[in-house]
Amino acid sequence: MSPVANEGLAYVDALHNLARYLTGNQTDAEDLVQETYARALRAEHQFTPGTNLKAWLFRILRNTFLSLYRRQRHDPTVGGLDTVEADAQGAGIESWLLGDIELDRLRKVVGEEIEAALMTLSEEARTVVLLDLEGLTEVEVADIAGCAVGTVKSRLARARAALRQKLKDYAR
Amino acid sequence: MTCDDVRTRLLDYQRGRLPLPTQAEVRTHLDACADCGRAEAVEQELTSVLEHRLPQYPASLALKRRLAAEWPARAVERSWWSRWRPALVPSLAVASVLLMVPPILYYERATSRAASERASLVGEAVNDHLRVLSSQHPLDIESGGLHQVKPWFEGRLDFAPVVAFEGDAEFPLRGGAVGYFRDRKAAVFVYARRLHPISLLVFRAEGLAWPTRELTRIGSVEAYTTAERGFNVIMWRTRELGYALVSDVDARDLRQLAARMAGGQ
Ligand SMILES: [Zn+2]
Repeated sequence: MSPVANEGLAYVDALHNLARYLTGNQTDAEDLVQETYARALRAEHQFTPGTNLKAWLFRILRNTFLSLYRRQRHDPTVGGLDTVEADAQGAGIESWLLGDIELDRLRKVVGEEIEAALMTLSEEARTVVLLDLEGLTEVEVADIAGCAVGTVKSRLARARAALRQKLKDYAR
Repeated sequence: MTCDDVRTRLLDYQRGRLPLPTQAEVRTHLDACADCGRAEAVEQELTSVLEHRLPQYPASLALKRRLAAEWPARAVERSWWSRWRPALVPSLAVASVLLMVPPILYYERATSRAASERASLVGEAVNDHLRVLSSQHPLDIESGGLHQVKPWFEGRLDFAPVVAFEGDAEFPLRGGAVGYFRDRKAAVFVYARRLHPISLLVFRAEGLAWPTRELTRIGSVEAYTTAERGFNVIMWRTRELGYALVSDVDARDLRQLAARMAGGQ
């Protein structure tokens, strides 16, 4: 019996969460998850036992999303991320002051704000942030996103810097 | 290590991904450099915001039901055995030094058969519950209370289902239906927990390979609790009757209900 059929359904909540953040609405998210499982069952012989089933399912979900949804609609945030610069990181009185203010601000951030900030990022950036939260390794994330490990690292760093910037903007 | 070196490694540092010497170097720098220490606190806070405050969107019950209903039923087979195997193999390896090989093979085969028997009992219970969920008219009799539902089964079954739990505000009784469990008829009592239906299947236990290990005491019975395809399952038997409680309510709630049912038996 394949691990896919045996344990695949155990990851439905995590898959749905990513699908919801990729599609932005529940109907599309549910369709995406259903299609992901349909494809996973068709491809179950391609899963290598002993490797991370959750990561494998995430990869199918992302590929399904790219093939089914991304082409259908204009995504205003694609490419937006790269234009956001990380914070100035110089030393000195200004940066420690900013650091304290930012920390104070972050402590008061509410769920809606962090969600809104995340949704302004590109799909790729959202994906690395969420997969990182799921506890996947950089190698697994790279495999899911179809890029190099170094790219995952820099994407994640830029995405997090962009989140911090957004959250700061909301505070104004 | 410069401040820039440290800043670019902060996330890896917090995730423990750096080689140990580098990890220590970053630690030393953070202890000495207030700026980087602050930057680290900000990163940590962002992680905490994402982990604790970012809204989570778990799959809806409707989606879980749809997926479970479409999921290949063969997924049930062997799942128990494959979970057992890792624990069993070392002890078998030791035993094989002491015993001859044939008895071990026999033991393995027998254990495997018992495990797959048990898995198929659980699978059957989940299938029955799915039939209740997917049926247009799941209930043959709507509940006016247990005193109406129980007599309704008379003449429709070849046994009397012993069920004492009337339902209460938390777990109201919705009704009943006649179903099948494997080769035999079953009384299906449908309770609810808020919007979640819960099936209680009652059937003759005779001739079924009942779980004898990993049992937990609930009320006055030794129950077997497990989960299958997103549903929690609790099974127990009295002398003649087998009981299976199946639902997507969480395990704790289901146990509470089982305790109410098994308490009076
Ligand atoms: Zn520094």
